[in-house]
Amino acid sequence: MDEPEAKIRVTTPDTEQGHSLWSDAWHRLRRNHLALGGGILILLLSLLCAFGPIFSQSYEEQNLDLGAVPPSLQHWMGTDVLGRDLFARTLYGGRISIMVGLVATFVALTIGVTYGAIAGFIGGKTDAAMMRLVDILYALPFAIFVILLMVFFGQNIFLLFFAIGAVEWLTMARIVRGQVMAIKKMEFVEAARALGLGRRRIIFRHLIPNVLGPVIVYTTLTIPAVMLLEAFLSFLGLGVQAPMSSWGVLIKDGSEKMEEFWWLLVFPGALFSLTLFSLNFLGDGLRDALDVRASKD
Amino acid sequence: MIRFVAVRLLQTIPVIWVIVTATFFMVRFVPGGPFTAERAVSPEILRNLQAHYGLDRPLWRQYLTYCDSILHGNLGPSFKYPTRTVNEIIAEKLPESIQLGLISLGVALVIGLPLGVLAAVKRNTWVDYLCSSFALVGVCVPTFVMGPLLILVLAIHFGWFNASGWYGPMDRVLPSLTLGLVYAAYIARLTRGGMLEVLSQDYIRTARAKGASEGRVILKHSLRGGLTPVVSFLGPAIAGIVTGSFVIETIFQIPGIGREFVNSAFNRDYTLVLGTVLLYAVFLISMNLLVDVVQVWMNPKLKFE
Repeated sequence: MDEPEAKIRVTTPDTEQGHSLWSDAWHRLRRNHLALGGGILILLLSLLCAFGPIFSQSYEEQNLDLGAVPPSLQHWMGTDVLGRDLFARTLYGGRISIMVGLVATFVALTIGVTYGAIAGFIGGKTDAAMMRLVDILYALPFAIFVILLMVFFGQNIFLLFFAIGAVEWLTMARIVRGQVMAIKKMEFVEAARALGLGRRRIIFRHLIPNVLGPVIVYTTLTIPAVMLLEAFLSFLGLGVQAPMSSWGVLIKDGSEKMEEFWWLLVFPGALFSLTLFSLNFLGDGLRDALDVRASKD
Repeated sequence: MIRFVAVRLLQTIPVIWVIVTATFFMVRFVPGGPFTAERAVSPEILRNLQAHYGLDRPLWRQYLTYCDSILHGNLGPSFKYPTRTVNEIIAEKLPESIQLGLISLGVALVIGLPLGVLAAVKRNTWVDYLCSSFALVGVCVPTFVMGPLLILVLAIHFGWFNASGWYGPMDRVLPSLTLGLVYAAYIARLTRGGMLEVLSQDYIRTARAKGASEGRVILKHSLRGGLTPVVSFLGPAIAGIVTGSFVIETIFQIPGIGREFVNSAFNRDYTLVLGTVLLYAVFLISMNLLVDVVQVWMNPKLKFE
């Protein structure tokens, strides 16, 4: 593994030299207050969901005598019909929702980038066949696909990660394929080949690092899409199972009981939407920042 | 152009075949069957039922029979609704979904297009931020939050509408608003992006230099090019919107086909699953074809290949 290679540095933008794509992008992102605000909010929400449940009240402790009470000083978001503290449940649900978002996106990212890069690099008939498969998968109603997977494998949260990831990789594959096709004729790939590197090494060490820009942008936009899908599955009763909870589950429960207990719908719904908001602002900001065609206005 | 359409239609055949085949075997491998109910039927009746629907024959025979029947336009009998065929179910429920879908699409276009154009023209002003934020609300507030919220406020609190049901014209308002807002948001975002791209082109500068009014520049010169991304989005969007939305139809109790997409899978109603999947695929493929044709018409730089 210690052979010399032309590794492209992507993780540490060189600020002294100044004008790499990454440092330019960082400068542009910093000027975009909406995107930056979104990023900070996401960070705060994640931290709150990750560590909040340690300090808050129990999310599964029932208090049937109490029942559902509206928000008060003791229960900031009220309680549900079983007398469980909604604030604790919302934080805990957020933990699961964000985790599903991250892990499923990672699955989608891995499949999509690998698939797209291979199709784009090899080209020709292999590429055509691989992309036809993507077209066919696009034409399946995805809800059905996920439902089949879920029904088939039973309701296991790890399968949920996998099922959602397996559904969301298609667009990523298309984007990466397009990018790889655009850069595979460039000299550095030629050079890598002249050095005698194998296909696999060229794809994973040279091509993929160079298409990271669009991939990062699309990743930030995939996370909210994945979280929406998880919520949709929970809405169908196929998602996370009790006593665990996710924002989707809480919203579903809330929408069933909203006529009497509005807070059960409003708080989880608001936090969920706020998260999606921030992720989208961040994603849009990143896209503007990394878009090389954008003029420096 | 006729050649282009013909070639594309020919290419569709293998795609549809793969979709049908994959779905056929996929639903069969799911555990449980259409007659697995809470109250189990006696083995004898079960055998009779399976014989009646041909489920006792080898899978490949059933597959061939099914392929033969769909080639004759017959989607088979439903297992869950024993007296009905899948064709009848679709014929009954699809029109309701199409109706809701078209109204929602109208709502989406009427709200989305002006917002997107306005945001692009007034780029980086408070007008732009307002329009763009509104568009994000539609993207980020899922229909199963938006729908109940609208019911909570407009139907229950103010009493202007029925909370659910599908009878008079007033019952169309809340569902189409809920569904339309989502699409309005996407359309506004795409319109803004497309218009920004076009407004920075040289020919727009030329038009302005020649003294064309701002309204004329936007309506006559920019809109056609700026709407290209919206048109590509509308293909899959229309296919999705007219085949019904499970969430909306569940929340508002609408007898549309959208619910069957999910319920048929739960019920292991094999023929209905296949019927809905096929329906969606046909819609999607034809809409995409239509979009490709419209795009060539809209953009003189493109040619039919």
